[in-house]
Amino acid sequence: MQTTITKTPGGTTVHLAGRLDTPASLEVSKELEPVIQNATGEIVLECSELEYISSSGLRIFLTLRKAAASKGGKVIVKNISKEIRQVFMITGFLSLFEIQGDE
Amino acid sequence: MKIEESMKGLVKKAAGTGLMVIIVAVIMVEAIGLVQYYFSQKTIREEASKRAQAELELAQSKIMDVVNQTETAVHNSIWVARWCLGTLDSLDRIPRRIVEDNPIVAGSTMALVPGFDRKNPLRAPYALRTPSGIEMRTLATPEYDYPSQEWFTKPIEIGDGYWSEPYIDTGGGDIAMTTYSTPIKDEDGNICAVLTADISLDWLTELVGEIDIYPNAIGVVLSRAGRIMVSPTETLSMRSSVQEISARWTEDKEVFDSIAHSMLRGDSGVMRIHQKGKANQVYFAPMSRTGWSMSIVIPEGDIYSGIRKVGALIMLLQLLGIVLLIIIIRSSIVNQMKFKKLSDSREKMESELKIGRGIQMSMIPKIFPPFPERKDIDMAGSIVPAKEVGGDLYDFYIKDERLYFCIGDVSGKGVPASLVMAVTRSLFRTVSAHEKSPQRIVTLMNESMSDMNESNMFVTLFCGVLDLVTGHLRYCNAGHNPPMLLTDRIQNLDVVPNIPLGVMPEMSFREQEIDLNYDDALFLYTDGLTEAENAAHELFGEERALQVLHTRRPSDEQLSAVQDAVATFVDGAPQSDDLTMLFIHYLAQPATDTSEQHLILHNNIQQIPQLAEFIETIAEEMKLDQGLAMGLNLALEEAVSNVILYAYPEGSDGLVDIEAIIRKDSLSFIITDSGKPFDPTVVPDADTSLAVEDRPIGGLGIYLVRNLMDEVSYERNEGKNILSMTKKQLTPNQ
Repeated sequence: MQTTITKTPGGTTVHLAGRLDTPASLEVSKELEPVIQNATGEIVLECSELEYISSSGLRIFLTLRKAAASKGGKVIVKNISKEIRQVFMITGFLSLFEIQGDE
Repeated sequence: MKIEESMKGLVKKAAGTGLMVIIVAVIMVEAIGLVQYYFSQKTIREEASKRAQAELELAQSKIMDVVNQTETAVHNSIWVARWCLGTLDSLDRIPRRIVEDNPIVAGSTMALVPGFDRKNPLRAPYALRTPSGIEMRTLATPEYDYPSQEWFTKPIEIGDGYWSEPYIDTGGGDIAMTTYSTPIKDEDGNICAVLTADISLDWLTELVGEIDIYPNAIGVVLSRAGRIMVSPTETLSMRSSVQEISARWTEDKEVFDSIAHSMLRGDSGVMRIHQKGKANQVYFAPMSRTGWSMSIVIPEGDIYSGIRKVGALIMLLQLLGIVLLIIIIRSSIVNQMKFKKLSDSREKMESELKIGRGIQMSMIPKIFPPFPERKDIDMAGSIVPAKEVGGDLYDFYIKDERLYFCIGDVSGKGVPASLVMAVTRSLFRTVSAHEKSPQRIVTLMNESMSDMNESNMFVTLFCGVLDLVTGHLRYCNAGHNPPMLLTDRIQNLDVVPNIPLGVMPEMSFREQEIDLNYDDALFLYTDGLTEAENAAHELFGEERALQVLHTRRPSDEQLSAVQDAVATFVDGAPQSDDLTMLFIHYLAQPATDTSEQHLILHNNIQQIPQLAEFIETIAEEMKLDQGLAMGLNLALEEAVSNVILYAYPEGSDGLVDIEAIIRKDSLSFIITDSGKPFDPTVVPDADTSLAVEDRPIGGLGIYLVRNLMDEVSYERNEGKNILSMTKKQLTPNQ
């Protein structure tokens, strides 16, 4: 699992690549702590290379979303795979996030 | 409504019948009474007649005794009288001697034919009995003119002794009397005098008056001229002629005259006469020599008073009898009504029992085949209660590819047993919803039933859980008779008896297991089968059941065959116990392409990625597409990470056993750990519709498992959490 955080003019882009399983989520949530603390502007979660996500991964997404909501930020989930979209659908995340990218 | 009408009809009918019976009874009783009365009356009349005749004879003999004594007294003096005629000196002595010597004689005279005594042309010395002694008088007074008196003229006329008509003797004693007089002749046969003796009619009346055969009977003596000589009543005053009194005495003048006529003619007989509206029997008979006739008058009231008393008594008894009859009939009608009411309430109860039976039967599955869409199981079950409702039960259902089933028998029969049966069945459903282990099901049921078992009823129960996929049967017996296992042969399933449910709490029950193969079957039954009794009290027994089951048939036919065999055996003998049977035929094809994968992880979260490899291998084997594989991976990871993170205390080492069962088109994971008990299946679903502010961070894992897998079940067994989850209809990636 590889996480790349890039500052952009409007905010932050988080590039997630690999499998966001339970142990990986522990790492990722630490890495994303600054982003969560400063969840202003546009936070883009680039998921084109995200292969897998577990509930702990989803929890990070939700935590970020909640932080953004309280700090005036915005979370955009980009390019999730068909399989992850399915998981988003099951969990009701589709309606919680602005999702961009291919269907 | 209909029942009520028919009841009214019945009562009317009963009342009608009762009335008829009463009428007939009254008629018969009255007829018998009348006949009896008639014959009694006849007998009594004859008896009265006999008694009257006897009394007549008695009275007559008394009178005749007096008559004889009187006549004898006179006749004995004839010789002395004749002798006296020669001297005419002591004429007085003759009547005096007669009165002196004969107490019955009231007076006596020796009356000379006028002119016989030349000195005294009329001479009749008369001796009269007075209270102070015998007084001598003479009848030769101009006023009396004895030669013209009947007592004097008649004997001379007939030349023989003669009893006079009754008269009041004004010349002598001034008393009512009759006189016997006899002529005294001299040696030449010329009548010279008349010698007499008087008898007081009062005295005669006294003598015959005691006619005591009936209280109001009277004796009447008539003279030959029809004058009354003896009568106790003032009405029939002395010396009156019968003609004179007939008009006063009776309204049946003709009858009276006829009687008088008969009596005067010297006839004897009996006649019926009315006096003042009351009938009297008059018995009469002549009296020899005197020319008198005597009658006894008896009021019929007296004669029949006895029979009337008896008659009244009989009538009273008859009345009592009829009253009794009415009471009996009434009570019988009332009883009939009661019986009707009783049978009504019985009908009501029976209909309620029928409803009860309907409710009871609706509790158990009774549509067969129960799973028409399934090819792997064929079942049939039946309950035939001995009464309307029974205490037997069976139940089954399929959940997560497992057949949960049980058969049971509540001790006792009827309504109490049926209530316990209902409780048992509900408990089975409730408990088995969360338990896959028959041992656990039985144990929990026992706890509940022991707690509430105040009526000391217990239940024998056989409980089984059959894994329809593998044919693995786990079962636990609670005092029930062992089911029969039909494989290539028939034998009783090896069963630990244990004790029945509800006997006492905290009992331990042993679970057993066996693997069923294709075409194996279980035949479960209650003792109503083996203990079905025929008229000769022989039992149906296991052997007969075995013989029937020997022929392999579809489940429903199998049950019918056993039922027919029982029916033939008992041959109409009443069923004494509930008969319940359940036939389970396992028909799942052997799983030829089943394989298993096994993975054991430590409770270290860093081992989670191994799951991905594990799934990859399986997906490859099953040729699953990436999406399906990821779903399976996610479900498995959620379940396993849950165990790793929460099951064991922090820092302790624990294992997670993951077994994957791969079939042709389905996949099961069985995740076992020895951590603290935790049933993820009871965790409430996450609410995915909440807004972001309200969404809790956690709770998604189990939600995902449930949504990604088709079946998820949890079991705690022997200190282990066992979570099973299955994904069905896995189609290979094309």
